[in-house]
Amino acid sequence: MKKRIIELVVILVSLSLFQVSCTRDEPPPMLRMALQTEPSSLDPAYAVDYSSGLITSLIHSNLVRIDTEGKLCPDLARSWEISNDGKEYLFHLGSSRFANGKRVKSRDVLFSFKRLLSPSNLSPRWWVLAPLKGARAYHEKGEWDSGSVEVINDSTVALRLERATAHFLSLLSMPAAGIVCPGQMEAEERDYGRNPCGSGPWSLSEWVESERMILEPNGFYTGKKASIDGISFRFIPEAMTRIAEFEVGNLDILEIPHAELKRWRTAGLRLEKTEELRIVYIGFNTGKYPFNDRRVRRALNMAIDVEAVIAKILFGAGRRARGVVPPMLGGQERQSDIYRYNPQMAKSLLEEAGLGDGFSMEIWQRESPEGGRILECVQAYLGNIGVKVRLVTRDWSAFKQAVDHGTPDAFYLDWFADYPDAENFLAPLFHSSNAGGGGNRTGYKNHSVDSLIDFASSLPDNEKSLKLLLEAEEIVYGDAPWIFLWFPVRYEAVSGRLNGYTIPVIFNGQRFLNVSF
Amino acid sequence: MLKFVTRRVAQLVPILFGVISVTFLIMYIIPGDPVLSLVGERYDDETIGRIREELGLNKPLPIQYVDYIGKVIRLDFGRSFVTGRPVIESIKEYFPRTLLLAFSSMLIAVVAGVIIGAISSLNRFKWLGRALMSFSLVGVSIPVFWLGLLLIYLFAIKLSILPPSGYGNGSLRYLILPAVTLSFASMATVARVSRASFLDIASEDFIRTARAKGLNEFVVFGKHLFRNALIPVITIVGTDFGSYLGGSVLTESIFGWPGLGRHIVQAILKRDFPVIQGAVLFMAVLFMLVNLMVDLSYGFIDPRIRVAGKEE
Repeated sequence: MKKRIIELVVILVSLSLFQVSCTRDEPPPMLRMALQTEPSSLDPAYAVDYSSGLITSLIHSNLVRIDTEGKLCPDLARSWEISNDGKEYLFHLGSSRFANGKRVKSRDVLFSFKRLLSPSNLSPRWWVLAPLKGARAYHEKGEWDSGSVEVINDSTVALRLERATAHFLSLLSMPAAGIVCPGQMEAEERDYGRNPCGSGPWSLSEWVESERMILEPNGFYTGKKASIDGISFRFIPEAMTRIAEFEVGNLDILEIPHAELKRWRTAGLRLEKTEELRIVYIGFNTGKYPFNDRRVRRALNMAIDVEAVIAKILFGAGRRARGVVPPMLGGQERQSDIYRYNPQMAKSLLEEAGLGDGFSMEIWQRESPEGGRILECVQAYLGNIGVKVRLVTRDWSAFKQAVDHGTPDAFYLDWFADYPDAENFLAPLFHSSNAGGGGNRTGYKNHSVDSLIDFASSLPDNEKSLKLLLEAEEIVYGDAPWIFLWFPVRYEAVSGRLNGYTIPVIFNGQRFLNVSF
Repeated sequence: MLKFVTRRVAQLVPILFGVISVTFLIMYIIPGDPVLSLVGERYDDETIGRIREELGLNKPLPIQYVDYIGKVIRLDFGRSFVTGRPVIESIKEYFPRTLLLAFSSMLIAVVAGVIIGAISSLNRFKWLGRALMSFSLVGVSIPVFWLGLLLIYLFAIKLSILPPSGYGNGSLRYLILPAVTLSFASMATVARVSRASFLDIASEDFIRTARAKGLNEFVVFGKHLFRNALIPVITIVGTDFGSYLGGSVLTESIFGWPGLGRHIVQAILKRDFPVIQGAVLFMAVLFMLVNLMVDLSYGFIDPRIRVAGKEE
């Protein structure tokens, strides 16, 4: 009897496991991806985080867009003309349609831009259109300048700027400048962020909160048709769980954490890589002693063997930053190697600054296993020149609040490009008007840098503008408000069935129209 | 009985008030700013100020507190700062999934724990009894996070018989790994407590009397020993309910289970005050009700407690 019962249990367990394993689904003809965080809104005016920006850009079209290589290309606008003084842009729209079939007209551009700037909408991204004539006055006082966005006819719209802005087209490629369907906006009001209607190649098919989001091809999209049935984004907060999902074949694309890189490189899987438009750094609180002394900041730059950290901790997935502008945007090559690893020189600089006996400092970081490993190396290197480092870890919200209020001595952070332009690596990060939450979290202030950035931004000619920006970069590099670490290389594992996928250099550069199975 | 229940329910009111106040104050004491989560990487102070005003965060703290208490009394938990969705709607959506996970874990913990406890008490001096107790010691000590990843590695990656994560509309195959992970520590505790209880009751006089009456071992075990040994197990399960809900926070994050625990974690990371306050309050009420039910259930299981209650 006892034996019979045991037999029965064994058979039942085997059958159930067999049944479970047999129910594993065949991969659907849909691209399967995972996001660490769920988008908070798909409304261009409120899409401020990475996930929201990524998906909003797939659903909405802009006048212009950025491709996977970071180049500016037409989107809704077939072509455009820029006046000689760089203050007027004339865009000629194509025959694009929203996902509800309505044609995208010039007045929709007016509607979307006015909405982004409106004082009642409180969009944190209103600054994207700040160069428009009278934009600031409208945002602050509600007085609209009808000359700033003029509807010439259904397919021609003129944008007029307060002053020439070299990177204005790049700004127009940001998710915040996406064109929304006014009809849908009026119908949904505050729920537009959950039921968006744009003229991008994809439209929202399903959003199950905390689980997944599915995009389907926008049937009215007039550009290149997608050759896949859709894109599914699953929200999986844990990196290890995302890796497991990829390993069992439930995902087609997976970002590989640097700590895992060695294993994946040797596993014989298909890996894609690209140097991101992103820089990793340790920022000093330049208003605080002893970091208000340039010699101290330069000494700390020399005390760290950044190349060794890249090799050992990142397994080579980064390029040492000798400046702040990524090489792809024209930076790096012209910089001399003034911060080559040289602890002796670092010590003598500290002595010169009256800190020959060393000092103590705190470096703050947000919770991240990789950041922890990197900062432990930094701690050891700085310890070698007599600087005692205490590492402080906080969650993102507390970290950001402390850094923006200038609490820490120094902080470990990175900067992702909003748009591919050298200006985006200088103005927000080093212009004194952006101190604190504007992006300049070190409180760095240099009048020459401010003037160069301002002048460069006001030039209609991109080449001249870049030249001035690189001059500003040279000054910043010499002043060392940061410990300049690296430009990271992003690695992604790609499933064997996926063709035509490349990692975009900027978060909204990939539209998944060239991928197929 | 009614008097007892009324008294216990009345005792909940000051506790609830305490929970509401502490949750409210903690949100303002801990560092971090909800508005910073809403504005992204680049912002200007003016926009921050206006959003703060819109959300009512610029009012003095006592006024915000009184406003909040007033809303809670009207059962209005507000809207999420991040999504704008009513908090009550999110709780309605997420909580059933957490409950499903918690009950499944509880079921596994109780059934497996009692079986392990019973077997090890019957094999007290044999290797099997010792092995099971060592296993339960390991179970109590294993961190949920590590166990979750281990189970994913074993059952999803190596054996490919269960999905690594997700909800799968509540289907059984998606539930197994998170439920086992969540149940593990509790299962081990139940096993240890039930073993001790079985051994304790087995040496009682009434068990000897039952055997002396000539009852067979099955009846002695099932009717007399088992029923009496269950009392401490129920206490453990009841008080552990909080740990199921608390543990669900980690388990749900590892397995991408879209329940209230994970929702709270996300809300905490974004300092989404209304969601945190609403969800914590909800969990607290639930925890108190479960404890109340545990207290009441003793009477049904052990008539002596019921009698004592009457005499009182």
